[in-house]
Amino acid sequence: MFKQIKTLIIITVFIISFSENVYADEADEIIEINSLIENAAELDQKKVTVSGEAVGEIMNRGSHSWININDGTNAIGIWMNSSDAQKVKYFGSYKYKGDVLKVSGIFNRTCKEHGGETDIHGITLEIQETGSGVVEQMSSTKIAVAVLLAVLAASLTALFLIETRHK
Amino acid sequence: MSSIKIKNQNMGIISYYTGFIILIVTALMTIPILTSLLFREWNPLLDFIISMSISTITGLALMLYGIKAKKNKANIQWKHGFVVAALSWILLAVLCAIPYRLSGNAMSLLDAVFDVMSGFTTTGVVLTQDLDHLSNGLNMWRHLLTFIGGQGMIVLALSLLGKETGGAYKIYAGEGKDVELVPNVKGTSRQIWKISMVYLIIGTAALWINGIIIGLQPVSAFLHALYIFESSWSTGGFAPMTQNIMYYHSASYETIAMVIFILGSLNFGLHYAIWHGNSREIYKNIETQSFFATSFASSMLALLWLSKIDAYSDAVMGIRRIIFNILSAHTTTGFGSVYARQFALEWGDFGIMIMIIVMLIGGSACSTAGGFKGLRVGIVFKGLIMDIKKILSSERNMRLYKFHHIKDYILEDGAIKSSAIIICCYMTTFAAGTILGTYYGYPLSSSAFESASITGNVGLSIGVTAASMPAALKIYYIVAMYLGRLEFISAFALIGYIFGGIKKACLSKLKH
Repeated sequence: MFKQIKTLIIITVFIISFSENVYADEADEIIEINSLIENAAELDQKKVTVSGEAVGEIMNRGSHSWININDGTNAIGIWMNSSDAQKVKYFGSYKYKGDVLKVSGIFNRTCKEHGGETDIHGITLEIQETGSGVVEQMSSTKIAVAVLLAVLAASLTALFLIETRHK
Repeated sequence: MSSIKIKNQNMGIISYYTGFIILIVTALMTIPILTSLLFREWNPLLDFIISMSISTITGLALMLYGIKAKKNKANIQWKHGFVVAALSWILLAVLCAIPYRLSGNAMSLLDAVFDVMSGFTTTGVVLTQDLDHLSNGLNMWRHLLTFIGGQGMIVLALSLLGKETGGAYKIYAGEGKDVELVPNVKGTSRQIWKISMVYLIIGTAALWINGIIIGLQPVSAFLHALYIFESSWSTGGFAPMTQNIMYYHSASYETIAMVIFILGSLNFGLHYAIWHGNSREIYKNIETQSFFATSFASSMLALLWLSKIDAYSDAVMGIRRIIFNILSAHTTTGFGSVYARQFALEWGDFGIMIMIIVMLIGGSACSTAGGFKGLRVGIVFKGLIMDIKKILSSERNMRLYKFHHIKDYILEDGAIKSSAIIICCYMTTFAAGTILGTYYGYPLSSSAFESASITGNVGLSIGVTAASMPAALKIYYIVAMYLGRLEFISAFALIGYIFGGIKKACLSKLKH
């Protein structure tokens, strides 16, 4: 009898923990930003997880800040604690590859706090990949073409000026 | 004069002034070159040196070809003016696209030309990839193009003429502008630029301060302010980031931009009149009356509809999203404070229909805005009222009907007819774009929305415009943007000139 009760308890614990994992997996499943927009009505006010590169710059608004992320399908604003936002060091621009963030939070199709914006109120933030500076590669052919064309253009300008002044 | 001599002279005049306009616009590339130097962006610097050199060579070659005609003081005729306007726009669209293509952000030259035409015509739809990583140099160039396009490249070139050229008005009119602020074209062009530059300083300062308040760094706040001003004033709709105006998450930033784009959509003649103390013009002008009537009606209808379908759960958010987008569409700006696909998914057919109507109506004539213009809507509407009144009144009752646009005009059949013809041209272009969109498998409402946005030079997208869309649709959209901005006549003149030339060449060959 004791053995049966023990087995029942173990099975119950296993089922509960397994079902919790499934739930956690659903919340952790990364959704593309375009899918959020396409399925905004169904996902409105639900907890979602997105992953994308931080772009532009942080916009501090007191205790909270805005960080915009782009996952390649689209971009969206994340409203998060300023203390969390400060952890983001690199933002994508011409000279930088931004930090890749994994953000979980509540998705709002029309956010009441922010005048109907479509946004995510971040709860947890994880930096999946740290950004870095981008080294510009200069092609020697491009430099040569630029110099050659500039000389040609300057010569033609001189010719034009001579032509217009002489006659 | 022999026909060959006349032909050469015609070609010479067209070539000289087209080259002149190309050179003036090319000179503007020094601004992105300096920007690239300032931010130490070496690849964009090279891209602009290459582009500037190619454009200079093209412009000078055209001027050298036509210099003889210029020296002979050949008269500029209407056909020359229209052909110069139409041809310089086409050549500049290709030449100004070179930096886009060289940067690698445009996937093809066609995409690059598409974006330049979108900028010139102040449309604002984008095929450029990875906007969030664009160099400062290229961003400066994109927004500069839309700013120049708003005022007009020809207006810019004419304002820099050394002395008044006989027939310059004919080139000026070729760009779809007819307002005469002062008695000569050079003076009028300079006044247009003066008005724009004063607003540039005020608008950029306002957006800069607001940008710092909402958390942007001072340098980037300045660049964003400059870009958003250029885009708003020229009713363009370009923005430096993927999210467009949504990037800023700020009602105040949106409001300042909205004030600027409404001002930009008003006739330069109206600005000039108000600046010279004639503030009553704003109430009396047929265009402002028409604009405020259609803006109010469309906003109210959209608010009613979107509250009916519960698109926005409270009034404040509804008003902020709906008014901004409706006015952005009506002024043909194209800033979107909702995602492109949200129009299709959340605004419903009636919401889309309202957007299509306001995008086609557009802003004021001789402003930076597109569409078939409030002036024409007002004239046709008044013409309709006039005809009804004429039918109802006695035949012996002779009454003059007037409308007010800077000054009083008598409403004549000619004005009504020419307004109606232009409206018909817009509607035909819109219909053809819609049909083509549906042919390529896009839903009818999406095709119609995108076609109205392109034809009216608006720039809002419902998701059709993308780098992956069919090349034929891209080409059609380029043509539609171009036709819409030049208001058809110049482009038709160019086509007529080309076909006329081909016909003559064929006939002379047959004779020989």
